[in-house]
Amino acid sequence: MSFPGKAIQRTWHLIDASSQTVGRLATTVAPLLKGKHKPTYRPNGDCGDVVVIVNAEKVNFSGKKWKDKLYRWHTGYPGGLKQRTANEMLEKAPDRILRKAILGMLSRTNLRHKYIEPRLKIYEGAEHPHTAQLPEGVEPLKKHPRSRTGNYHFGLGGILGQDGTGFSYASPGVSQDGVRYK
Amino acid sequence: MSLSILSRMQSSCRSLLRTTCNPIISLRQQLFPSNCTTHLTIQSRGMASKKHKRVIKQAKGFRGRANRTFKAALQRLEKSWQYAYRDRKQKKRNFRKLWIERINAGVRQHGMSYSKFINGSMHSGCELNRKVLADMASNEPFSFKAVVDVVKMMNVRRMNNK
Repeated sequence: MSFPGKAIQRTWHLIDASSQTVGRLATTVAPLLKGKHKPTYRPNGDCGDVVVIVNAEKVNFSGKKWKDKLYRWHTGYPGGLKQRTANEMLEKAPDRILRKAILGMLSRTNLRHKYIEPRLKIYEGAEHPHTAQLPEGVEPLKKHPRSRTGNYHFGLGGILGQDGTGFSYASPGVSQDGVRYK
Repeated sequence: MSLSILSRMQSSCRSLLRTTCNPIISLRQQLFPSNCTTHLTIQSRGMASKKHKRVIKQAKGFRGRANRTFKAALQRLEKSWQYAYRDRKQKKRNFRKLWIERINAGVRQHGMSYSKFINGSMHSGCELNRKVLADMASNEPFSFKAVVDVVKMMNVRRMNNK
């Protein structure tokens, strides 16, 4: 299947990570980076988007993970198994919590290191240097609730982004914009 | 016989056999000079090089000596034939997987998931296959939206009728 134009349209997405659960946020970001949200997805051609994440240090773990979750790595030398709790990781390098989570959800392909990883930009605090690239008047993507339906703008404009019929095919407990009510 | 006659016979025989005593040119070359090349090759290849050339020609673009040498080329060719056999079956699987991924992406833009969409389309009498649906999702988004809307409407009707 060949497409009429080979131009890849890359959009920039802004995400505010404050008080979002790490893993659940990562599951929404990883397909954006890979391009799987586009119907023109190609596994061999790098068709993903750029994601800018702000407020990375305000991200949230549920349960006792701040105390108990361990990040482990081996330096290669004998007896070189090192570990760090999530709390310590937050002190030393807070953006790495999200980065590790998101990159772990990406497949290990040849495209990854050169193309996909540089497109993930994580910043602590609300400032980011990409105001020129982001579309004007962009709002951070809606905080992802526990439900699986979410309405994202894919840079396509209002035509296809919203559901024209006013019907959201989702379980009865979910309203149109995807927020779950009990 | 006298010795002189014998010696004359020996000499005449030797003159006849002079050809065989020639160490440089082979007997075959002397007896049939047109059949042989003029330069002094020890072996001239007949049919083998044709077969080898045919094999090496099929191995164009292979890595290393496999695109130049018969032995290496034959090994890599046999492997390539095995891969081709296997991948003719895998190609069908891979394309279906790609279609499903594209349909999933297209359908999620309309607030639905692939599984629910396919379930709905089975029940709504839509007989489009995944290949066509994927093509529509990527090339004709408005027609695809029409299909998705039809599926949604039929689902609502089905839910209400239950």
